[in-house]
Amino acid sequence: VHPLIHLALSLPSWQDEQPFLVTGLALGGVYALSGVGMIVLFRTTGVLNLSFGAVGAFGALIAWQLINHSGMNQWLAYLVCVLFGGVITLAYGMVFGRALADRDPLVKTTATLGLTLVLLGVMDLLWTSNGGMSRSITLPTDNHGFLVGQIQVTTTDVIALVVGIVITVFTTLFLRYSKLGTAMRAMANDREITATLGVPVRRVEASAWFGCGIVAGISGILLADLVALDATTLTFLVISSLAAALIARLSSIWVTFVAAIVIGVVDAGVTPITSLTNYRDMTPFVLAAIALLFLNRKRTLSLERQRF
Amino acid sequence: MPRMRIGLALVAAVALLALAGCGSGSSSSSSAAGGGTTSSAATTSAASTGTGTSASGSTGTTASGGTTAAVSSCGPKPGTKATGSPINIGTIDTHQPGTDFTDGPNMIQAYFNCVNDNGGVNGHPLKLFVQLDQTQPAQITAAAHKLIQSDHVVAIDGVFDLLECTLDQSYWKQLGIFEMDAGIAPECWSTPNSAAVNMGPRYSSDGAVQYALDVVGAKKIVFVQSNVPGTGYIAAGPSAVAKSKGVPITELTENVPINDPNSVALNLVNAAGPNGSVVLNFTPPQALPILQAAQKLGLEDRVKSWGCSTPCDTDFVAKALGPKWNKKLFVNAEAVDADDHNGPEIQNYKAILAKYGQNVAGGIGSFSQFGYLLSKFLVQALNTVKGPYTIKSVNTAIEGIKDYKSEQLCQPWTYGKLALHIPNNSDYTVTPQDGKMVTAQGCTPISAADPQIAQYRSAAKAAGIS
Repeated sequence: VHPLIHLALSLPSWQDEQPFLVTGLALGGVYALSGVGMIVLFRTTGVLNLSFGAVGAFGALIAWQLINHSGMNQWLAYLVCVLFGGVITLAYGMVFGRALADRDPLVKTTATLGLTLVLLGVMDLLWTSNGGMSRSITLPTDNHGFLVGQIQVTTTDVIALVVGIVITVFTTLFLRYSKLGTAMRAMANDREITATLGVPVRRVEASAWFGCGIVAGISGILLADLVALDATTLTFLVISSLAAALIARLSSIWVTFVAAIVIGVVDAGVTPITSLTNYRDMTPFVLAAIALLFLNRKRTLSLERQRF
Repeated sequence: MPRMRIGLALVAAVALLALAGCGSGSSSSSSAAGGGTTSSAATTSAASTGTGTSASGSTGTTASGGTTAAVSSCGPKPGTKATGSPINIGTIDTHQPGTDFTDGPNMIQAYFNCVNDNGGVNGHPLKLFVQLDQTQPAQITAAAHKLIQSDHVVAIDGVFDLLECTLDQSYWKQLGIFEMDAGIAPECWSTPNSAAVNMGPRYSSDGAVQYALDVVGAKKIVFVQSNVPGTGYIAAGPSAVAKSKGVPITELTENVPINDPNSVALNLVNAAGPNGSVVLNFTPPQALPILQAAQKLGLEDRVKSWGCSTPCDTDFVAKALGPKWNKKLFVNAEAVDADDHNGPEIQNYKAILAKYGQNVAGGIGSFSQFGYLLSKFLVQALNTVKGPYTIKSVNTAIEGIKDYKSEQLCQPWTYGKLALHIPNNSDYTVTPQDGKMVTAQGCTPISAADPQIAQYRSAAKAAGIS
């Protein structure tokens, strides 16, 4: 049978497809959250933070540890996770971000891989997978929800999508109307000129690093619940967000948001299509490639910061 | 500002140090075994001590009476350290991010330590040489050569590895070594020089499908496993079992790690339908998110039952799932549920784990149970050796293992001179019960509809093995 005929035959009905689109929206929301966090940092500091997923994973594992072995209140533990993301990212930004400030953007981006590997190694050391060990985080919001068609949509799913939207709206307004946001936009254009105008660039950069880390922590908790509490899985889920950011040419927050939602929905939507299901992990790459080849064919993509 | 950076760096360093104390345990390669020191133990003599015992119950772990639970029953001289020349034993195990089988060798090391503290084997201490690998073929074959040529091991025992059986079979055959393992690769069961205490993914999946068909009464089976090479071999078993009952089976594969468990759970339930059963062949890091996703989406009752091969048989899976899964998930168990039984051997296993098993991160569970059994059977075989402990004498004893009894297995364990070895081919089924796995079905032979099971039983019968 011709592959296209086989594909047509294995397509599910619209009714069967709908639940997958619903599940994809929640995942897309968290991808959007991560993508927006990465874009804000990139636009401010010129660093594409590839350690985003590892920071979130580390925070989520700390929360798991505090809840299950220290008896900490779970909301407090999630707060620790989010703060950990902010602090570790800020620390990296202040120590290595500054040291690498004048280096090529590719060097700065690659350096964040170093942090990723260090965090992955420490996670493997502290939270081993001996004996098929598995961990999980279940948010209290998983126990509440409503039916859409035949499937249960949990409050966590809704939160994931809403937080993605809220962060995107907030970031847009923040960059446009707040003093700090204006300073960030100025830095994105020219760091040196911004500094000579009296803007405290290091403080602005610190804010961007900290904010990026906070978003990484929130993403880590949500993804640990929606996907799995596994260091490797969470670390490399950042690829979907990165693809969304690339589709947005590393500049537009709203395009990043929409691209992330589309990636999440397509990824989930392909699941019931037998002939494609094992290739759905390619979704971020395929969509990014299509976008880069066609949507941006008259423009160029560069790790150098864009004017906006 | 430089001061600020230094301050932040210090804060980060302190935070990491604090976190170091926050982890759940350390990694566990048996350091005692990894030294790679050479030894002439290949010619260690059994006769020199004059304390040789027969195979049956020589370690004291199968004898009747409550005293067998104590760790002092590990060896023939309670409380006396073995001081003779060591008997070197080798093992090769997978240890990589996401796939860490070191609980197996760590349990073997614990058992050996117990034996060595209680007189050893005919006065000789056991020394374990562990080679860890990251699923690289060249690394695994090199590890086998190192164990033989540098470490002078006389037996290969306790291999918990993804590829070892495939890669080293011809080498073991050439040397006359009969390895004992808890394997994954097909060659662990289908070759003359390997015998496993576990059933492995194929026969364990057979058992899970068999339960869904015979007990639950499923009218359709959806069998799902990782999308990796070799899954066709595994799926052939469940497929044959389902077809023998005239029940349709859908075989699916999923890329791992699974990035979207919600969609996967939804897809499985849709494929199975209300009268079907979903059977997972995954380790807990993949299986648990799928089952939890099914629960979040309200799908757990949309199929007749859920099943899983042995890796799901852990209390942390039962605890993570909660009471909603009581008698909804049925897990094949290749060995008895150690929490659910308390015979002398189980007491001995738990006592060794408590006293010597600090590095066994998973604690009570199938990995450490298989490690215990592999050590126990080896020590029993070593006690039958007369004269020097050489590769030839030791492996003759291993090949000669026949009807070694264990509380943890459904049937006596036999090696034997056979073209294939599936000595563990009768299993239990367990189910979550308020955060613990409890027995749902006692010993049940795996269906001979799987052609390899039929072939083994036929060969074993011809060789006079029960």
